[in-house]
Amino acid sequence: MSGPEAAGKGSLIHRRYVFGLLLRLCVNFAGGVGILFVILFFALSRPLPGDYAGVFHALRNLSPFLRPVLAVSVLVYALLAFGSTSALCVYILHKVAGPLYRMELVLDQYRSGAPTRTVSFRHDDQIQPLAHAFNQWVGALRRDRQRWLATMKDAERHCLQDEATCHTKMEEALRKVAGDMERYH
Amino acid sequence: MRDLAPQPSRPRVRYVSPRFQGPAVLAFAAIIAIGGAIFWKLVDGEFQRVIPLAAVQGHYTFGSAYDIVRDLLAWHLAGLFVGVFLAGSALVLFLVAATRHGIGRAVDSLRVSADGDLSTPTGTSAIGEFDRFGKKIDAARSDTLASILMARNEVAALAAGGIPPEEFRLRWDELKHRIRRIAP
Repeated sequence: MSGPEAAGKGSLIHRRYVFGLLLRLCVNFAGGVGILFVILFFALSRPLPGDYAGVFHALRNLSPFLRPVLAVSVLVYALLAFGSTSALCVYILHKVAGPLYRMELVLDQYRSGAPTRTVSFRHDDQIQPLAHAFNQWVGALRRDRQRWLATMKDAERHCLQDEATCHTKMEEALRKVAGDMERYH
Repeated sequence: MRDLAPQPSRPRVRYVSPRFQGPAVLAFAAIIAIGGAIFWKLVDGEFQRVIPLAAVQGHYTFGSAYDIVRDLLAWHLAGLFVGVFLAGSALVLFLVAATRHGIGRAVDSLRVSADGDLSTPTGTSAIGEFDRFGKKIDAARSDTLASILMARNEVAALAAGGIPPEEFRLRWDELKHRIRRIAP
């Protein structure tokens, strides 16, 4: 078994999905930096007095005032960027998290012994091969089960004849089924 | 008139899985916080150096303080954007690689299960959500194997012979019932 081999087929997570995520992330971070720039621009672009002394005093007073301004603007940037990135994560990653959650439910249902229906994800979900592989596995199990039952049923038809033939055919059927079950390990 | 007949319930679409999206959100938050802290530290240091210097050395008038720090602010903002975006992209690529690896192993495990191998562990990865998912798949495979082995033992016992006909028929019917319960 090799994960990278299956992943190498490129169908688990589409490139388009990854590029879309990176693009949205780029726009998101650019927006955050843009907001930080706007805050700092407004904080710093207050006109200075025209004369040398006025400029000197204004700049000397501005220096300690800038520290909290910078801290608050970085905090605003961090909160905005965090909020929008969280929303982006939830919005984008649900195309992986949703199918995973769905598969977990199906596996729980399967283990509980309840009838399991064919699994299908939403058309734009990622990790589609997972549903196909699960359906393939359950399909193979069901085909084998039907074959075993058909073999047993076929042996039962001989019970309309005499008891000895019936028993012989049943034992033959059992040996066939046992041989068939050998492939499971 | 409104139709009051009960509507069939549609499967609920679940968008948030804290176990999967939570760590990703926290990792992005850490990148943003670290980027912001580095930016604050560097820019604050530069402001504290450049603005008093400009106040002392400035033999000309400035329109605003922004004129003094325009270039350094632009460079640091560009650095913040590039740094956070590159780190975020690396995280995205890591998440994609981890998902491909973890789910890829699960897919391979289900494929070999279809060929009869129900005992080789899935071995997804150490990442929490995928590890848990791999264990769920292994549990389902293990249950199936246990059912088949139980049926196989019964088949072998019946095929061995030496069982009275009445008991044979009873166990035969029970075996059919047991086989029907495989992959319902």
